[in-house]
Amino acid sequence: MTVTIALPSKGRMKEDASEIFRRAGYTIASVGNDRSYRGRVEGRDDIEIAFLSASEISREIGNGTVDFGVTGEDLVREGLAQADERVEFCARLGFGHADVVVAVPEIWLDVETMADLGDVAADFRARHGRRLTIATKYWRLTQQFFSGNHGIQLYRIVESLGATEGAPASGSADIIVDITSTGSTLRANNLKILSDGVILGSEACLVRARKAGHDADPVVGEIIAAVRGAL
Amino acid sequence: MPLINLPAFAPDLLADFASLGTERVDTPVIQPAEPFLDMAGEDLRRRIFMTESETGESLCLRPEFTIPVCLRHIESATGTPRRYAYLGEVFRQRREGGSEFYQAGIEDLGEGDVAGADARAVHDALKVLANRLPGRTLKVVLGDQSVFEAVVAACGLPAGWQKRLIHAFGNQHRLRGLLAELSEPAAKGVFGAEVERLAILGILDDEARLESHIDGTMQATGYSTNASRSPAEIARRLREKMELASTRLDARTLATLRAFLSIELALADAPAALHDFARSHGLAIDDALSRFDARTRALAAAGVDTAAITYRSAFGRPLDYYTGLVFEIATGDDPAVLAGGGRFDRLMTLLGAKTRIPAVGFSLWLDRIEQAIARPADQATTQGARA
Repeated sequence: MTVTIALPSKGRMKEDASEIFRRAGYTIASVGNDRSYRGRVEGRDDIEIAFLSASEISREIGNGTVDFGVTGEDLVREGLAQADERVEFCARLGFGHADVVVAVPEIWLDVETMADLGDVAADFRARHGRRLTIATKYWRLTQQFFSGNHGIQLYRIVESLGATEGAPASGSADIIVDITSTGSTLRANNLKILSDGVILGSEACLVRARKAGHDADPVVGEIIAAVRGAL
Repeated sequence: MPLINLPAFAPDLLADFASLGTERVDTPVIQPAEPFLDMAGEDLRRRIFMTESETGESLCLRPEFTIPVCLRHIESATGTPRRYAYLGEVFRQRREGGSEFYQAGIEDLGEGDVAGADARAVHDALKVLANRLPGRTLKVVLGDQSVFEAVVAACGLPAGWQKRLIHAFGNQHRLRGLLAELSEPAAKGVFGAEVERLAILGILDDEARLESHIDGTMQATGYSTNASRSPAEIARRLREKMELASTRLDARTLATLRAFLSIELALADAPAALHDFARSHGLAIDDALSRFDARTRALAAAGVDTAAITYRSAFGRPLDYYTGLVFEIATGDDPAVLAGGGRFDRLMTLLGAKTRIPAVGFSLWLDRIEQAIARPADQATTQGARA
């Protein structure tokens, strides 16, 4: 059986992932030219590389069309319901660090915790004639965190596919759930992270699709051990 | 297409509804999704079937009837009081059971006699269930949001705590957690560095000054043009939060709240027990109790056996449009809820009604009623029949 590994197709993530695999003993080369979306591991006919965008990688692992993928934990947990039943996070790779956080306008001096936000959300309709709105592309993570962890039900999500941190100032939403690595974009937009508002500390991970055939395939175990050894 | 999965008893149920003086209404299966998400919250999104119109409007398959029936009433601009009955398919993603099933029920809109309308909702639900399940024990559990709100208010708690407690009512786990948190000396509010700076400057002591400081910062950062929360609102709540942080839920108040939340007894005995409770804890909740008494009397007058209803003080629904009565009915031998109902006086205005329209209603889970009919009768009844 051929084991397929999906790797980021461009940018820093592609370089960092290739470097880890090189240290693990797998030198990755593109098939054909540099811009090709297929790759191989030198000297290994039993491993195939697919270069995909980070969000496609999480979807393909979820579908089981690839065996492994390197992608952000945030994308996997956002993209897949019951992620832990469908995939295994085999190794945290130490790059692509980013937190998914709840951020509110800095001037909301009375709001520092999720409990504060719950109070504000509970009253919002009575005061403003509408629910508190959250701009985010992380629907699933937001719902799990707000409803599941903090019992906050009364809010609405406004889908935002870019420049989410600008939503409160432009009036398209009251608060945001977004990814941040240094917090500088949030500060530049006069937003602050709630003290208990980190939903997920994400980084690039080696993720395995839970597939029946993997137990019997020695290459699967070998790849996991080699990548862990290279960290 | 014939509705082959329509429960066999549906025509009889509709005949019952007609004899109860209701007017049958139907609503489109495809509904705008916004009102459901707005009322029940984003969590509902995972449990309904959503789609989009060509123009991008969010639509869903009708997940329940109350909101469509109320919206239809508002749109048709007919007068009140009105008693609507419905029966039809609803669509929800459920862990157990199919995702399309039938519900039926009655919504009673605009009846000014609150006690009478409450009693009629419980009576009607019991009656139509008894007609489907003759001879079976029906267990009613009844709660009242307004009694809890009155107890919390009479305890003299700071406004912020009252809101938190009332918001958690109906969610036992959260309410218990909240009580523990409020009584623990370590439970302090978290304040940011900016708030501490303002405290040192003495700006926090003066609400007007605090408000103008917030306003100034908003102007300076350009945030104010679209600000959803006003400087006054933020200043007010910050002061409320400081008040919360500097006081504790004292042992006596905690004991009062815990004692209240553990009350569970036959409804027939509940009025006396609640008056005793209020007296012994020194709570002035006469208005709420007189409404509770009036409803209990109205139930008895409607021929409902109040000794067979369980009043549970902690029973409620954590949705902000429920305002008073809540109830559920199951058979004696199975916990599956066959009927659920309550008073939702806030819903009509939230949905856009120009005037306040009191509302009470119930819905029946027809699939569960079918299962209950198919199941052998309660142990006691079976043995009785054999003997």
